Order: sequence, then structure tokens, then C-alpha cells
Amino acid sequence: MNKSVSELEKDPIPGSTPPAGTRRMLLAAFAIVLALLVSFLFARYSAYRTVQAKFYGQPLVPAKEAFDFRLVDQNGKAFQLSQLRGKVVLFAFGFTHCPNVCPTTLSDLAKVYRALPARDRARVQVLFVSVDPRRDKPETMKNYVPYFDDSFIGLTGTEDQIAQAAKPYGAYYEIVHNAGESPDGYSVNHSAFTYLISPDVKWKLLYNFDQLGDATKVVRDIEQVLNGA
Amino acid sequence: MITRIILSLLYICCVSPIARADSLSIKIENAWVQAVPPVADTTAAYMKITNLGPGPLRLVGASSSVATRVEPMITTRQERNGQEILGMEAVPDLEIAPGATLELKPGRDHLMIMGLTSHPVEGERVKLTVRFAPGDQRLELEVPVLREEPK
Repeated sequence: MNKSVSELEKDPIPGSTPPAGTRRMLLAAFAIVLALLVSFLFARYSAYRTVQAKFYGQPLVPAKEAFDFRLVDQNGKAFQLSQLRGKVVLFAFGFTHCPNVCPTTLSDLAKVYRALPARDRARVQVLFVSVDPRRDKPETMKNYVPYFDDSFIGLTGTEDQIAQAAKPYGAYYEIVHNAGESPDGYSVNHSAFTYLISPDVKWKLLYNFDQLGDATKVVRDIEQVLNGA
Repeated sequence: MITRIILSLLYICCVSPIARADSLSIKIENAWVQAVPPVADTTAAYMKITNLGPGPLRLVGASSSVATRVEPMITTRQERNGQEILGMEAVPDLEIAPGATLELKPGRDHLMIMGLTSHPVEGERVKLTVRFAPGDQRLELEVPVLREEPK
């Protein structure tokens, strides 16, 4: 708006400069728009701060409709996220040939799960989604994921299904070949986030790799979400 | 000929860093191996290595009775879509300055254990020979297999 005012002033055609009254009105309109914008941003920001103060994880404000991915579970059966409506779902992407990040994420999640009061465990489900369908078949997932906790479910699928599941959550992965490795010896770089879905299938919170290490704080978040926060 | 044999024996016993096994200038603490499901063919070893010697030290690799290869790796972190992407990159070595401590830990630098030939069971100990340069300094360790980082 500022710019258009100054452009008007520079107008080379004589006599086309707006009279002082019009200019004042433009300025007033500009001030109103600016005030509205600032108050809107401030309202959003304070809403975000309120939610942020409540949770340890990074909140999505407002919580997003969780993308209802369709994958294949570790028993080879079709699986849809919305099947778990009524539960808090925690899930992460990874692959079973992962030496460092994934076993750590899964042991952190196991620690969180075991730290939950027994009555709440039935209302919490942990999922681990493979981003390496070439090597991770349902059977591979079955031999890998429940090792960390019997209740955990491993998911895989076709390359398309997995790409569709990852995208709405902003998850990223790419296959990396290291020099001198066998054709099946590749590694996968991937987002190491854990996503928390509320019982009404909304994506509420996000934990980064390091945050997940503090089980007590993650448990407190889960309890709050189970209690309708 | 005999002199040569004696000389080389002398070398092996007194000069060769293998024989010295430089445990005086390298301190290793809190070593552990991540317990993984039997289906996994890779895992990682973590530890704190302090260089007590006067010169820079390089961790070049390790070997173990339970795997075909053990190599130093770094964890790369980059941002995409506002989320952190963790990746892994093989490096020829990890350098430790004199007096410094290299911390190998989950989500950071680690020794990747590749091609598991026998499954390290939680609670067991696995043999790990950690190799350093300069020279061929080796430290033999017996490392516990744990589910999570010991506190």
C-alpha cells in the first residue's frame, strides 16, 4: 500500500496526483489493515503460546486432521490409521536396517509406553512405519517392531502407499548408497520425528529425536491428550 | 638372519603399538552395544573415548566376533519441511584431539556393526577390538548388550 502511494506521487502525468483528502483516506485504510493484521497475528501467536506452554512436544495449532494413511500391517493385513480412533497413536518412520536412529526411537517409545499407568496403555498404540518397502516386508516388520514392545505394530506397504503416508506429515526419506556396499546394503536418510495423533484422529504434537528421550514429559503429554486436552 | 628375527621380535614387543596396546593414553568408558531384534543385521556400539596422549588420535574402526564389519559413522542432520532429517555417513576415521573426549551415542557418531553373524542377546557381552591411528593401536573390550543407553 505504501508503495502504491509513492507510485502515485511519482506519476509523471501532470494533474493526476490525488488530492490531499484521498491520500489521507488511503493512509487511514492502510493503518486499519495493518492494525487488523497485527492483531490477527498476535491472536494466533498467543493461541500458539498457550498450547505450547501446555505441552512438551511441538504442538500443531490448530491441530490438523490426521491424514488417514492406508498401509499393510505386520500380519499382511490392510491397515488404516482411522482404525485406531479412540486411542492416542504415536508413530515414527524408519527402516529395519537402521543401526542407530531407529532402535533408539523404538526403545524410547517402549520406555514411554511402559511408563504409562497400566489403565492407559490400552488406549495408546505405537506404530513404526517403514520407508524401505524393498527390504521391509510385513514379516520383517513382525520380527522387528514387537521386539521393542509386544504391543507395537510395524507397518509397510507399496512404495506409493508409503509416499502417500509420509507426505502429509512432512516426513522425508531418501535412499543413500555408500561406496563399496552390496546392492542391498544401502542406507536410508529419513525424518526422525514421532507424531502424536489424538483419539479424534487429529495430528496434535510432534517430537524430534532428542525430545523423545525424556519419557516422563512425553507421558505427561499423552495423559493430557487422553484427558481431552 | 637370527639378528633380524631378534630385532623384529624386539620391535613387536617393545616398539609396535599393538604390543603397547596403548591403554595408558586411551581411556574408554560406558561402552555398550544396542540390543536389536534377531532379524536385524546391523546395530551400533557406543562409548566415550578420551585421548590422554600428547598427539591427535584417530578412531579408524573396530572388529567383532559377532559381525563382518565395524566402521565409524557420523549422523548427519539437515532440515526439510521444518523437520529434521537424520542420515548416516561412513567416515574414514573420527579424530580426537589431545585431552578431548569423543562421545559415541545414539543419534550421534557411532561405530556401526554390520553383517551380524551371531545375534547379540540383551544382557550378554560381545568382544570388540577398537582400532586407533597413528600406528595400529588396538584395545580389546567386552561390551554389554543393552536395550537403552545406560544412565
